[in-house]
Amino acid sequence: MANDHIDLTVEPGEIHALLGENGAGKSTLMNMLYGLITPDEGEIVIGRPDAADPDGELVDTVHRFQSPGDALDAGLGMVHQHFMLVPVFTVAENVILGRETSKGRTGLLDRDSARAAVREVSERYGLWVDPDALVEELPVGVQQRVEIIKALISDCELLILDEPTAVLTPQEINELLDIMRQLRDDGKSIVFISHKLKEVKAIADRITVIRRGKVVGETSPTASESELAAMMVGRDVRLTVEKEPASPDTPVLEISDLTVADDRGTHAVDGLSLTVRSGEIVGVAGVQGNGQTELAEAIMALAPTIGGTIRIAGDDMAHAKTHEIIEAGVGYIPEDRSLDGLVRDFTIAENLILNRYNRPPYARRGVLNAAEIQRRAADNIETFDVRTQSADHTAASLSGGNQQKVIVAREFSRPLKLLIAAQPTRGVDVGAMEFIHSRIVAERDSGAGVLVISSELDEVLALADRVAVMYDGKIIAEVSPDTPRDEIGLLMAGSTGDDEEAAGD
Amino acid sequence: MTEPKPAEKPEPDDTAPVTPAPETAPERPAEEPADQERRPGFGSLFLRYVTTANTVMVTLYSFLLAMVIGAVLIIVSDPAVRGTFTYFFSRPTDALSASWTAVSDAYAGLFAGAIVNFTTLAEFQAGEATIGRLLSPISETLTYAAPLILAGLAVGLAFQAGLFNIGAQGQVIMGTVGAALIGFGLHLPAYLHLPLALLGGAIAGGLFGAIPGVLKAWSGAHEVITSIMLNYVALSALGWIITNEFVKDPDPNKQYAISKPADESSLLPRLAGMLGIDAPGLRANLGIIVAIAAAALVAWLLAKSTLGFRMRAVGLNAHASRTAGMSVPNTYITSMGGAGALAGLAGATLVLGISPHALTHGVAGEVGFDGITVALLGRAKPWGVVAAGLLFGALRAGANTMQSTLPLDMVTLLQALIVIFIAAPALVKAMLHLKVPAGGLATTTAKGW
Amino acid sequence: MRTVRGKRMAAIGVTGAVALFVAACGEAPDSANEGGDAVAKDFKACMVTDTGGVEDRSFNASAWQGMNAAVEAEPAVEVHVKESGSEADYETNLTGFINEGCDLIVAVGGLMGEALTTVAADYPDQRFAIVDAYLPDSPNVFSMEFNTAQSSFLAGYLAAGHSKTGKVATYGGLKIPPVTIFMDGFAEGVAYYNETKDADVEVLGWNPETQNGSFADSFEDSGKGKSLTENFVSQGADIIFPVAGKTGMGTPTVTQGDDALDSIWVDLDGCESAAEYCEEFLTTSEKNIPDAVSEAILAARDGGPTDGHTVGTLENGGVSLSTLREDIDPELAAEIETVKEAIISGDIEIKSEVQPVAS
Repeated sequence: MANDHIDLTVEPGEIHALLGENGAGKSTLMNMLYGLITPDEGEIVIGRPDAADPDGELVDTVHRFQSPGDALDAGLGMVHQHFMLVPVFTVAENVILGRETSKGRTGLLDRDSARAAVREVSERYGLWVDPDALVEELPVGVQQRVEIIKALISDCELLILDEPTAVLTPQEINELLDIMRQLRDDGKSIVFISHKLKEVKAIADRITVIRRGKVVGETSPTASESELAAMMVGRDVRLTVEKEPASPDTPVLEISDLTVADDRGTHAVDGLSLTVRSGEIVGVAGVQGNGQTELAEAIMALAPTIGGTIRIAGDDMAHAKTHEIIEAGVGYIPEDRSLDGLVRDFTIAENLILNRYNRPPYARRGVLNAAEIQRRAADNIETFDVRTQSADHTAASLSGGNQQKVIVAREFSRPLKLLIAAQPTRGVDVGAMEFIHSRIVAERDSGAGVLVISSELDEVLALADRVAVMYDGKIIAEVSPDTPRDEIGLLMAGSTGDDEEAAGD
Repeated sequence: MTEPKPAEKPEPDDTAPVTPAPETAPERPAEEPADQERRPGFGSLFLRYVTTANTVMVTLYSFLLAMVIGAVLIIVSDPAVRGTFTYFFSRPTDALSASWTAVSDAYAGLFAGAIVNFTTLAEFQAGEATIGRLLSPISETLTYAAPLILAGLAVGLAFQAGLFNIGAQGQVIMGTVGAALIGFGLHLPAYLHLPLALLGGAIAGGLFGAIPGVLKAWSGAHEVITSIMLNYVALSALGWIITNEFVKDPDPNKQYAISKPADESSLLPRLAGMLGIDAPGLRANLGIIVAIAAAALVAWLLAKSTLGFRMRAVGLNAHASRTAGMSVPNTYITSMGGAGALAGLAGATLVLGISPHALTHGVAGEVGFDGITVALLGRAKPWGVVAAGLLFGALRAGANTMQSTLPLDMVTLLQALIVIFIAAPALVKAMLHLKVPAGGLATTTAKGW
Repeated sequence: MRTVRGKRMAAIGVTGAVALFVAACGEAPDSANEGGDAVAKDFKACMVTDTGGVEDRSFNASAWQGMNAAVEAEPAVEVHVKESGSEADYETNLTGFINEGCDLIVAVGGLMGEALTTVAADYPDQRFAIVDAYLPDSPNVFSMEFNTAQSSFLAGYLAAGHSKTGKVATYGGLKIPPVTIFMDGFAEGVAYYNETKDADVEVLGWNPETQNGSFADSFEDSGKGKSLTENFVSQGADIIFPVAGKTGMGTPTVTQGDDALDSIWVDLDGCESAAEYCEEFLTTSEKNIPDAVSEAILAARDGGPTDGHTVGTLENGGVSLSTLREDIDPELAAEIETVKEAIISGDIEIKSEVQPVAS
């Protein structure tokens, strides 16, 4: 059950934060509010001003939305984690998508009034966007603004923002928070979904915490971060990872002047140099989309490099094939688990040998050894505490955390010289997170070099022995994990000046 | 390369396991349903099974629904039966009995032409009919099934690797060419000649099939487009090859475009002859054994070999396979090459198993295209393809008998209806008010289509 | 939702039922009426088509016409047909008819020759006949062939004499002998006209020396026929002779638009098989399959030879030119009669190497 008898009340002109871990049921709740999922039980009551008497009591109506259209009609607007925009359309076209009006009876799309409407909303709330810009050419933060404009233009009273800050730079986050305040002052209600304590504390008027599909409490932003965290997880959480000081030895990964082009041909990684030594964890901090994905893929030979060298354990691997890099003792936890990490319709046993399937003892002369594969699976499931009834169930039947454990089990069950862990705990529960973190530290202690790439600054700071800040395809600074968060936040924004504020402070 | 990124939240909700390990024991939700399921008897379990839109039942219902629609069309298309409906209310028995007769005659004819004709059986027992006539229907079914199974495997294997091999027809044609060239070009003892001719068909089909794989691997060109176009290339090439001096039959009495016939030593021996039955009409040949052996090989390959593991992995998730160090382009080439070899083998069984044992413009018939429907019906699983190939072979064989009551196109229509229902399980579910099975409705599709 | 849909379904059902009710109120016929004037059937003639099917408006259709003509001539004959969906069906359809007890089985199309040879050897007591092939080694097969080069020779002469632009054209469906024999005859007829009249009419689309020319690679694609025809017209041809089955239908659709353009049809009289374009056809180079088939059936019923071989010629009427269009110059028509006599007498020798030879 994703949601279990949740009660939630949002007042007019309030920013109400919905705080919970990944998978706690926040998104499910919001999808019900927005008509994407129909609830099994319960009702949604919406109060709107009476048309005849705008200043009087709100009139309550009871709803059970069957589709987003119903929700829109009832005055709800939603900005999804993943934008629902058509990239090749202009801003104005996207905004009127689904409620296109035509000029008279000609059947021609009325773009002029769409443009005018976009301008009007932009000006009213300070959300400046060019209505004629193509969405695909806009930065992420601006795309998000388009989503907000889309919601506002249909006169929504309640705006739901689902994890809106995940993709933003600290500066963009600040701008978003300003916009939210302005909307609130204009009388709109906002539900702000997040699992980032700092942001929630900074913006919310009230905070509802949900855990395992239930509301576990309502609190005010004055509660301390550790209080909130404890509510969220259901117990005291150590935000630190226990580890001994590192003892770096020989370099296992030496990257110099690496340049990688992304799909569009721009240099996602641009002359980057970085060294990881055995026995240390290097954390790459940075806002998503600054070339981290391409960096990891280039090391694994999954993205073509256009310049620079990559040496792994002293050997030049810039032109090696992926399987050669895996053979050289490099473990890889890919950032997109379900796309790159697992074959969802394969069994757990099959997924556990995905990159060893043609090596002894799992196969000899092209024939799979089923007994050996099963033995390995049983062993891994126990050692890595994968919660499943059988190794023959598909990976798709596992929860996100357990899926990640399968990947970790696959990569950590052979001697590694180097581990590339991209977003190793994204979307996994706290229990799995602690487990994965401890295994990463264990790999370091047994002599592997580890490169942790994460957009969660907390994770990087907790794990890393050395933090490399990546911005715009380059490592712009290497700092100690003890460096104050604000300072790192500024570096992540590409700025070394001190006139800008880091997120949430 | 163009596969859409899967929607971001495909995982089951994380809610349940968000539990600090020490607090609760690992949950075993399966125990409860198991307990519940033990209580009901076999009857209700069976009832539940047949009212659920699972793969087996959808396949079965698709077949039955196609038969029902076919029956309606039989009634409507027969002017005599239609005539009896104009006075339905003055004498309904006419209309009903005429409809019943038309439909039952048609389907009985289908059965008699495909499996066994009970009239012949009675005559045979009375000593009036030859064993040849008695076995003829089943022999025909096996004859038609062999190339259909092989072509179905060709499409099914590609499906497993996430590729939609619409080019089976072209590969079958190339297979006929390869087999025929060795069949009449070489003169060898049978134990060498036949295997070589089969191999020649497989290699020719395989090389031709690999082309879309290579194009996809090197340039990203979609195999559906390239393989469709290669069907035309194959057909035109066949036309050119037949008129070639070396290939064309020099017999002045053969005015038509036809190649030299393959040597007797290269032909697939007839099963009747191998079993010592003297019946000239039984043309079922070793081809069906070749087809079933190929299915067994494909089944083994997919389940037990590293190559099959790689094909399935790439088919299900090319990104993860690449990340795990597998060569996706290589897999595309191998899979399409393997698929082409199977289709080429289908072509070889046509030339070496069915008269005139020579190349003509129509030698491949529609076998390659029928292979697509066979693979869909068989859910791209090797043994499913065998079953589907036998069914379609039976329909083809029965159709020839049913011709006195119905046009040949009726069977094509039945096949099409079956495949439409199978491709749209939601339709079957809605029509029969079936329940959705636990894993959701299953359709067979290649990635990106 | 369900109730609304249910109501709608009910409404449709009621409407349909009413319509059926009205339609089904006719009187029942007298059952005594059935049976009637049946003649005892004593000869079962069965026909197997090639992959074109019995309704191809050409080759198979004309054979079926011959089957029915036999019934008309002798009511004691009954006829049956099986269509072949693919070449793999030939053998099974032939043996199927043997099992059904047919007295004569007619195979239509030379490609069936191989399958027929096998089956005929397996069943030496069964009578067979084949259209467009000659199986000298099968004593129980009656072969029917047609020397369409002769009729096409006349068609070529006619085209050359009628052409105003001095250019005529032909194209084929596939480059196979049964097609190229028409084109050979046509080109030779034009050449003969040039020779006797000291003219210089040019043939586009076929060169009998090199055996190369224009082909649509299809017997089904009238669009291709159309574009080939347009191509010839743009090169100056004013009479086009398509030898391409349904593909050829593209030609009259082009010539229809211009009074100066004409066409010559093949196989079955164009004024019957493609009546809507009758005005476009100067004549048809006919292949008289119906008569040959009908005669073969009647001969077999009368116990004629099992291994006959007929070649349709101008002499025996197996090939012919259909009635010429009214506006043909009577002088030219008379010349064609003379040429026809010369071919029959052997004074004119047609060179085409694919002509069937009577045995």
